[in-house]
Amino acid sequence: MSHVGSDVGVRGSKEQEETRVHGEKPAPAEAWVGDHLPSHTRCFAKLTRPLLRLKEYNQTDIFLEDDINISEKIGKIGCSGISEQDKDLEKVESLKLSEEIQASGDVADTGEDFVSPWEVHSSSEAGIDYDKLIKRFGSSKIDDELTERMEKLTGKPVHHLLRRRKFFSQRDMKMILDMYEKQKPFYLYTGRGPSSEAMHLGHLIPFIFTKWLQETFDVPLVIQLTDDEKFLWKDLTIEEARRLAIENAKDIIACGFDVEKTFIFNDFDHISKSPAFYRNMVQVQKLVTYNQVKGIFGFGDSDCIGKISFPSIQASPSFSSSFPEIFNGRKDIPCLIPCAIDQDPYFRMTRDVAPRMGHIKPALIHSTFIPSLTGAQSKMSASDSNSSIYLTDTDKQIKTKINKYAFSGGGATVEEHKEKGGNCDVDVSYQYLTFLMEDDDKLEEIRKTYTSGELLTGFLKKELIDIVQKIVGEHRERRKTVTDEVVAQYMTPRKLKFDYPSPPVQTPGKKKKK
Amino acid sequence: MTDSHEKQNVGEDIVTPWEVESASEKGVDYDKLINNFGSKRIDEALLERIAKVTKKPVHHMLRRGIFFSHRDLETILDLHEKKQPFFLYTGRGPSSEAMHMGHLIPFIFTKWLQDTFDVPLVIQMTDDEKFLWKDMTIDEANRLAHENAKDIIACGFDMDKTFIFSDVEYISQSAEFYKNICRIQKLVTFNQAKGIFGFTDSDSIGKISFPAIQAAPSFSSSFPQIFGDKTNIPCLIPCAIDQDPYFRMTRDAAPRLNYIKPALIHSTFFPALQGAQSKMSASDPTSSIFLTDSDDEIKTKINKYAYSGGGATEEEHRAKGGNCEVDVSYQYLTFFLEDDQRLKELEKGYTEGTILTGELKRELTKVLQKIVGDHRTRRAAVTDEVVNQYMMSRKLKFDY
Repeated sequence: MSHVGSDVGVRGSKEQEETRVHGEKPAPAEAWVGDHLPSHTRCFAKLTRPLLRLKEYNQTDIFLEDDINISEKIGKIGCSGISEQDKDLEKVESLKLSEEIQASGDVADTGEDFVSPWEVHSSSEAGIDYDKLIKRFGSSKIDDELTERMEKLTGKPVHHLLRRRKFFSQRDMKMILDMYEKQKPFYLYTGRGPSSEAMHLGHLIPFIFTKWLQETFDVPLVIQLTDDEKFLWKDLTIEEARRLAIENAKDIIACGFDVEKTFIFNDFDHISKSPAFYRNMVQVQKLVTYNQVKGIFGFGDSDCIGKISFPSIQASPSFSSSFPEIFNGRKDIPCLIPCAIDQDPYFRMTRDVAPRMGHIKPALIHSTFIPSLTGAQSKMSASDSNSSIYLTDTDKQIKTKINKYAFSGGGATVEEHKEKGGNCDVDVSYQYLTFLMEDDDKLEEIRKTYTSGELLTGFLKKELIDIVQKIVGEHRERRKTVTDEVVAQYMTPRKLKFDYPSPPVQTPGKKKKK
Repeated sequence: MTDSHEKQNVGEDIVTPWEVESASEKGVDYDKLINNFGSKRIDEALLERIAKVTKKPVHHMLRRGIFFSHRDLETILDLHEKKQPFFLYTGRGPSSEAMHMGHLIPFIFTKWLQDTFDVPLVIQMTDDEKFLWKDMTIDEANRLAHENAKDIIACGFDMDKTFIFSDVEYISQSAEFYKNICRIQKLVTFNQAKGIFGFTDSDSIGKISFPAIQAAPSFSSSFPQIFGDKTNIPCLIPCAIDQDPYFRMTRDAAPRLNYIKPALIHSTFFPALQGAQSKMSASDPTSSIFLTDSDDEIKTKINKYAYSGGGATEEEHRAKGGNCEVDVSYQYLTFFLEDDQRLKELEKGYTEGTILTGELKRELTKVLQKIVGDHRTRRAAVTDEVVNQYMMSRKLKFDY
């Protein structure tokens, strides 16, 4: 399962898989169905709540017509014994009024949209309805009050991705801002599942924003490359997965993270070097049941045990105690995780176990998806070259792709366009500009004139082509300077430039929570 | 803890890595078990071959059928004949400080194997398993691993040939070990783990993925510091037969990893003092003889609690004789009395009724007092430094 929005890279972007879900309504070619997810278990992905909690739902929410397995499950719920561990979980759960429980459904299947860590698509041309999604997942919408507070505290305007609500949802951001206000530390954590060398624009978005967060708040950042996840989910050897991780690290470094504030690591190397990291993994593994991961991630009985326990590995970096070199052994430093919204299930699970481990729940800030070139009903995917702009594309390829494949919301003819205007909501080139164009005023100008029909599709696309060529070109140049030595610097476990006073010495009788 | 795949109905023996319960007074039906598990009995012919290949008499535990079942043992003997290497792998789940005599069995025998075949030995302390299954912290489990290591070292393993490791420490030290764990985890499905171990949906993901960790030391590539780049040196695993499921799973995965299947040699169960149907438990001091018991305690326990197969009265005993099959003192002697001759005498005499329970128990008391006493002495000499030496990841005295 992907660290970041299913199998690919940067949180939120998805790799397109070739298989298709049976019985799905005809989806555009870029539907991502995890090839690891057999069709009959796809529906489990909809049940993103632990099955134990089904009793909180209106039972009819669960009966999806073509999923016999769910009925089977339901039959089992409520009758067979709940283990001691789960009884404890229930006790803890019932205490919280948290957003994790209140949401009416993790299923994020609003009828038109479907969102899970492996699958994101919408039947609407305009894409996912994010308001509905927030309600489903139980996160909180980012509002003006929050962004204004951020601007006040940091003394600068928020990034355009935040201003335009490309980062649109959050959990516990208030806590992070409170910490910052009191000059108390926090850190950033994000990641990539390195399934291929083909990184695309969509992958960059969370890294661009994370870099801005690092600069703005001046905090450490850890970046996890989940090569073990890719190994488990794909037909790769361990060596290949590791190699991809190192290659992807170069692109990430080329985004411009400060080497003195950033630790990048790949699981295969780091787990077998870090007792503290591994201990947190095992603790999470003890606290999460198969039922829960089945409900949250849709695992099935024919999944391998590696996949089933993998979520604990994605959870572990949320705890500062996993990085004793950086945090001087402190376990009380909270974490903020920028990621695409489809990664939220991992961290709902993490937030659920954190208190039982004596740790602070990680805060989150979620992004929307960058649409596929061919339309907002799908996401950009690394395995479909027509759906994405790769970071290795030449200027010519960029121009061609945008001109040829970028879905247009403009009129069918110039006349029709001038008369009726263009639809920015479905126009992919315009949508891309909302992600990539920094100048608010210019963007607004484009929106007005395209909607009125004054600005033609060709010109709109030209704007985008210019910007993308610049971004990709600069990235390509910076990447060239990232040598193996530079990579080794970022990837060495070490103290960063931040100092933290040692934690208080624990008295011998004091036991760590199990 | 959970229903075993092997458990059929009430009245059947239960044998899983977490639960062993026999339906009959005599204990587990091992013939049935061999059948169920698909292993092979160690017969006379094999015993003779072992003696021939090693040029010495086989250990009494082999002779008496305490180590009674195997997989691929012949292959190991073939290798030894051709002077080709193999290594030994065994382990302990350090659930408490209270180790008892039953725990010693595989280690006593493994030491004999190490001495006889002159091969390296790796010993896995599954502190992560205990943490996952029991109500303890990781620190506690890890501490117990180090404590139990002292008892294991006191069995007399050769430091130059033995590597003892704790999972929690070694996984976060050894890239190769962790990679093998992942490779195995990729090949075993939840269905398989469920079928083999009886996991259910309400089990933690840690438990479900743990079996791969017990499997990984079966492969020499997990220990590059010992075996260099030799990734396929075969392994022989002495263990109690309830551990077999782990290694059935391992043997199933091995070919798909281009690894050699580990060979196994299984022991029977050591009965609890109160009889083959009761459970030995670290928290019940009357259930076994512990390695920390004093001479007095040993004597008292055997006299008071050891289940007797003798007659209810002396007359009845002299008339009908005693039943060695259910008599726990006799059973214990088969494990620990080295002298074949004496054992035979005792068996004959007890069965005929000429030897009384008291005498049997006295004999056992003497034997155990000596073994436990010697062990206590040797253990006292095992300092933390000594433990650290055994537990340090290093090249052993073997070259490959």
